[in-house]
Amino acid sequence: MKATRRKFLKTTALAGTGLAIWLEIPKNAAGETATVFEPNAYISITPDNVVRLWMTRSEMGQGIRTTLPMMLLEELEASWSQVRLEQAMPGGRFKGIRLRTSGSGSTVETYGAMRKAGATAREMLIAAAAEKWKVAPASCHAREGTVIHDPSGRKLTYGELATVAARQNVPDKPPLKPAKDFRLIGTRVKRRDGAAIVTGAARYGLDVRVPGMLYAVMERCPVLGGKLTRFDAEKALAVPGVRHVAPIHSGIATGVAVVADHTWAAIKGREALHVEWDPGPNADFDSDRFLAQMESAVTQTGFPIRNDGDAPKAMAAAAKTLEATYEFPFQAHAPLETMNCTADVRPDSCEIWVPTQAPEVALSDTAKMLGLPEDSVKVHITLLGGGFGRRLFADYVPEAVELSRAIGKPVQLVWTRSDDMRHGFFHPSDIEHIAGGLDAGNNPVAWVQKSVGSDLSMFGLPSEQDKTDPKFYFNDGSPWGLFDIPYNFPHLKADYIPLNSPVPTGPWRAVMYPPTVFARESFLDEMAHAAGQDPLEFRLKLLQPGDVHMVGGAMIDRGRLAGVLRLAAEKSNWKQPLTGAKDRWWGRGIACNVYDSDTYVAQVAEVSVGREAHDIRVHRVVCAVDCGLVVNPAGLEGQAESAIIWGLSATLHGRIDFKNGGAVQENFTDFDVVRMHESPQVETYTVSSDHPPAGFGETAVPPIAPAVANAIFAATGKRLRRLPITAEKLKA
Amino acid sequence: MPVFKLILNGKPHQVDADPQMALLWVLRDLLQLTGTKYGCGLGVCGACTVHEDGIPVHSCQIPLSATSAKSYVTIEGLSAHGDHPCQKAWLEEDVSQCGYCQAGMIMQAAALLKTHPNPTDQDIDNEMSDHVCRCGTYQRMRRAIHRAAREVSKA
Ligand code: FES
Ligand code: FES
Repeated sequence: MKATRRKFLKTTALAGTGLAIWLEIPKNAAGETATVFEPNAYISITPDNVVRLWMTRSEMGQGIRTTLPMMLLEELEASWSQVRLEQAMPGGRFKGIRLRTSGSGSTVETYGAMRKAGATAREMLIAAAAEKWKVAPASCHAREGTVIHDPSGRKLTYGELATVAARQNVPDKPPLKPAKDFRLIGTRVKRRDGAAIVTGAARYGLDVRVPGMLYAVMERCPVLGGKLTRFDAEKALAVPGVRHVAPIHSGIATGVAVVADHTWAAIKGREALHVEWDPGPNADFDSDRFLAQMESAVTQTGFPIRNDGDAPKAMAAAAKTLEATYEFPFQAHAPLETMNCTADVRPDSCEIWVPTQAPEVALSDTAKMLGLPEDSVKVHITLLGGGFGRRLFADYVPEAVELSRAIGKPVQLVWTRSDDMRHGFFHPSDIEHIAGGLDAGNNPVAWVQKSVGSDLSMFGLPSEQDKTDPKFYFNDGSPWGLFDIPYNFPHLKADYIPLNSPVPTGPWRAVMYPPTVFARESFLDEMAHAAGQDPLEFRLKLLQPGDVHMVGGAMIDRGRLAGVLRLAAEKSNWKQPLTGAKDRWWGRGIACNVYDSDTYVAQVAEVSVGREAHDIRVHRVVCAVDCGLVVNPAGLEGQAESAIIWGLSATLHGRIDFKNGGAVQENFTDFDVVRMHESPQVETYTVSSDHPPAGFGETAVPPIAPAVANAIFAATGKRLRRLPITAEKLKA
Repeated sequence: MPVFKLILNGKPHQVDADPQMALLWVLRDLLQLTGTKYGCGLGVCGACTVHEDGIPVHSCQIPLSATSAKSYVTIEGLSAHGDHPCQKAWLEEDVSQCGYCQAGMIMQAAALLKTHPNPTDQDIDNEMSDHVCRCGTYQRMRRAIHRAAREVSKA
């Protein structure tokens, strides 16, 4: 099957089965003398009764260093107090096991493998105890890190059993617990690493300290795609503490690195640097002009993505039609920890420390660059001060490796906030044009959507050839939110018009859904109002229970989507008008989405707008979720809150503009995000479900922008179709 | 270079460096106290917040030359055993996500409780809105601050 961008994010490219395969560690040849029990790559138990669990995803705030152990321990039956967490490294023990963290998949993709890994170890420990006691394994059970012989009450700890367990056969299909016996899965477990965070002990990429290391910052070409022509290092080298100045060619932009005893001197040295650039062909790229280009492109015929019924004919026959255009600007990820990598290149080996979502890429890129076998490169994955898709790109790794090789010392290459905001990868900007038709009875009959975007490049897709292939986007299942419009319109047509821009783009939290869902859910609201109907009821008519359908390439259960809409409506008192202080307008808005066929989210936002200042306040967001079995409800609620604030930042503040070929915004001054005083109360409700767990980390992002825009319309009668929505725009 | 004497987490320190060097980098790169974070370098994200004679300040904005004879507390020195009421409340309320902003947040909140032992939501908005949490943990922080305030008032 052909690779698609969706699959790259969602599943393992290596195993292809959707479940990580694990490497069976060959048993110690000396058998008897093995003292470490390692039934698989994820678990090792030593005679000191310590259980080591290897974490095969990066911790970036989604709580995976809590959820992975929960899934392992559920079956393993060890106790939290004996557990130590180790971070997996790409290659070696983990060769063939996916470590990439993306697509809201940390839990989903590992659920089966973790449980099986835990059950395997448990069965072998039970077999070991049975052997020692010369009893039947079935007469023993495991609990809290001990195996107990039921008839006699005898006990042995996992540590005491480790050596004998290592000699047992690895069971092919260890029995998994039935869900009713779960002790951990489905319970609220707080973050296990909270204490390290609140004491300042947690180590992120920027906190790596290696003996003899230096610190560097790098001046990158201010124009996208420009090249370094010459530089003069003299003044930079004169700054006290500056040790080296070196050109760098391997990252996302060419440039010059200044290396110093500490970050401060490196920054000062960079200010003193004289650099000349060849700006190249993009020197006059301007995002306003690009926007105008996108707007005029809506008249083009695009790549066909959906074509149900005969939408043009239905539009022509409709009693009432309406149309609108929506805008979603370029966005930065701006995780609070800026990009960075620490590299130590030695003659025959290399070690790097990096906060990354893509350790395999970091490994292979480093090995390739240095001409070393992968076994000679060690990639330590630190904690990530936020990922959000930015750290799926490893562009900041080769820069540091090239620099360490050039200076012959370990070095930490630090991106300043301005570097981080102006360079790297951005959420594509996007224009959506939608036309809708209602029949004489005000029933929705037709939907025609054109999506124009600067597209998304990831993992080499789409290639130049793909871009001209009329079937590529259809087969790729993109853009997300367009190919899988969940509503049952009798006539529906959707086309995609990708436009080339020099801006490097990549997945952002919720990948391609935010712009398409903003437009779709806003326009549904517009249609409902045009039809004189309640926006909730209008949606429900298009989502009948039991209607499970392939839409585009996705299997969507319209009834489940209706279910979360109803739940959000009920918990938010949708039918009751929202009132409050008299100097403000008040309103509620509703929106929903299905993320990649398996996570159903609906949100109701409660908003007020000042009658004087037109300031927007989002007071409360009710979020209803159906994502199958929930492994850790506490984690899920945290992710809902987080995703909603993320989406709200883009709704109310975020945009990156490009002028003269470079990003304009540089810091949280001009790219502001939601802060304490703007953050709503979020309530999350889940539908209890027998479906297997589905992803959640980013799935609550897309509905918030349209829910807020719809609430603003309900409050003020003003429809704002261009993000971000600001008081100035509301006043105009 | 001149030598600057400051008190850090209760102990006297001498730092011999560029007088203009921001305290943030002194802490992180010279003294290996990496709990204080870099987020913006401009005084607009709060990740680098420490206490200067008990007042919360952005260490990225404080030149070393201004630190003489002052006393600083960083997240590493906030409590001996990680048991400051804010730290405990942060764990109780399960605040952290990526955690990168949290040291700065806790330092700000700890200072807030000194000046407002019983802070209102408005006080919390006023004092905490200089800070960025890109993971959006604000409402949990708010709950944690109220919880810590209750614990302090009980004690
Ligand atoms: S790093 Fe000092 S306020 Fe952001
Ligand atoms: S917890 Fe990630 S920035 Fe606040």
